[in-house]
Amino acid sequence: MSNLAQNVAKLARIDLPDAKAEAVQENLEKVLNYVQQLEAVELPDDIEPFFGAIESVNAIRVDELQPSYPREEILSNAPDSDGQFYKVPSVFDE
Amino acid sequence: MQIEQLSVAELVEHIGKGDLSAAQCTEHFLGQIRDKNDDNGAFLAQCDQEAADAAKQIDASIAAGKSLGPLAGLPVAVKDGICTAGVTTTAGSKMLSKFVPPYDATIVSRLKDAGAIVIGKTNMDEFAMGSSNENSAFHPAKNPWNHDHVPGGSSGGSATAVAARMAPVAIGSDTGGSIRQPASFCGITGLKPTYGRVSRYGLIAFASSLDQIGPMTRSAEDCALVMQTLAGHDKKDSTSAPVDVADYMAALNKPLAGLKIGICKQHFEEGLGDEVRAKVNEAIDVLKSLGASTAEIELPYTQYGIAAYYVIAPCEASSNLSRFDGVRYTNRAAAEGLEEMYSKTRAEFFGEEVKKRILLGTHALSSGYYDAYYLKASKVRRMIKNDYDKAFESVDLILGPTVPTTAFKFNQHAADPLAMYLADVYTVAANLSGVPALSIPCGFDSAGLPIGLQLQARRFDEATLLQTAHQYQTQTDWHQRSPQS
Repeated sequence: MSNLAQNVAKLARIDLPDAKAEAVQENLEKVLNYVQQLEAVELPDDIEPFFGAIESVNAIRVDELQPSYPREEILSNAPDSDGQFYKVPSVFDE
Repeated sequence: MQIEQLSVAELVEHIGKGDLSAAQCTEHFLGQIRDKNDDNGAFLAQCDQEAADAAKQIDASIAAGKSLGPLAGLPVAVKDGICTAGVTTTAGSKMLSKFVPPYDATIVSRLKDAGAIVIGKTNMDEFAMGSSNENSAFHPAKNPWNHDHVPGGSSGGSATAVAARMAPVAIGSDTGGSIRQPASFCGITGLKPTYGRVSRYGLIAFASSLDQIGPMTRSAEDCALVMQTLAGHDKKDSTSAPVDVADYMAALNKPLAGLKIGICKQHFEEGLGDEVRAKVNEAIDVLKSLGASTAEIELPYTQYGIAAYYVIAPCEASSNLSRFDGVRYTNRAAAEGLEEMYSKTRAEFFGEEVKKRILLGTHALSSGYYDAYYLKASKVRRMIKNDYDKAFESVDLILGPTVPTTAFKFNQHAADPLAMYLADVYTVAANLSGVPALSIPCGFDSAGLPIGLQLQARRFDEATLLQTAHQYQTQTDWHQRSPQS
């Protein structure tokens, strides 16, 4: 598990400088060691997982056209936009 | 008239009769915030102009003799993880330091429609991850009973605001105890409703299958009045339940004769503070004197609640918080390409605890680990739910302490974060199983810090929680005590 912090940080798209990796790793291991106790919990063979506190059927509604929020209000929260779309740094190297 | 000591019903009645204007009432509480916020940090933002405008409208309606909503003129503080149109909503995070939502959360719309006035946004642990408010990216709120102690979390600002009389009502959210634990630490009443009872639309999600919004007030009666407005199905939240809402106010005055209260031995074992134990036992005697009876029950799988929670909540958080990537929400770090922009933005604007939980969740959901972590935790979650279902076949309520201790000091758990996680040991199971739960004050320790009593009930039976809490509060005055600061 020595590179766990760095591998997971890469998956989660969180920059983790080498200098901080060890401390982060230690912190993660503390929690992982604690939750490891779940491994030993004995359960009935046929037990189903419970993913949500409401096990409802699909909530469906009539598909009616409704106004959305104004584009300029949504884009006003963006760090960068051209008034029509979000702008991001280039995706491919030129 | 000491405005800040009036109950919700009294405030609404005075405003409706015209002997207190909504403008005066609003200005009074805004003044309380101005006076106290530098010292206790309960609020991240004050809505002076918006609140004054809303109050003026209420007063105009009263003058014109129009019919009023059930909460007309009532000032309300809202946790900063809940969206308010046109008012900065940060969720306690630098990531959203400039985020201005274009819409109100459903509960904010409901409160406004009922005539309530939003006076400010309350402090919180970043993205609701924490039990002390020390994880607020801005500054921690402080416990009004003693500023060296934490107010609890994550809805610590909401609890501080109500306890310090800066707002008669605050709205919080509870994922593993985030309404009840700060309510306990600050000596107020806090209700986490049944999962699905209150719409989550506009609540900035932490762990979607666990999050619930609820009221934080001084008394159970105040809580019932506000809950009546919050509860109900919302077509914008497909997990909100199409279940009729009970008449909570009508339930309050029913006698407790015949009520069966379950006591779980596990809640009174190792780790529980002696003073907390003594006060909770006294509360049991009060409820017995009102006609309730007690029976021992077992919730064997709840001992794994914290472990299951620290798998499930981070997994859901790692998914929910992936939306904060520097594209849509206000802050972006300087970077060369897209990949670097994502990872630098997330590194710079998320706090350490949030990053830790995202990493935990990402690890637990990553290829090869899913069965051992998320699936196993979700099966344990089923067993916890089954425990509750079985217990509620024989009792109406489950009673115990809300938290093992009273409020701890700032930095007390800095060296051992797991010790802080255990502050939620009695509260997480209600989120995992979905049942409603409430904390009310039941005494003080020798240092003068409040102690909380937790009641849990069957799904959608908030009425019995509020009834029992109210009946208890007719016999005790813990909920009426005010801190000095």
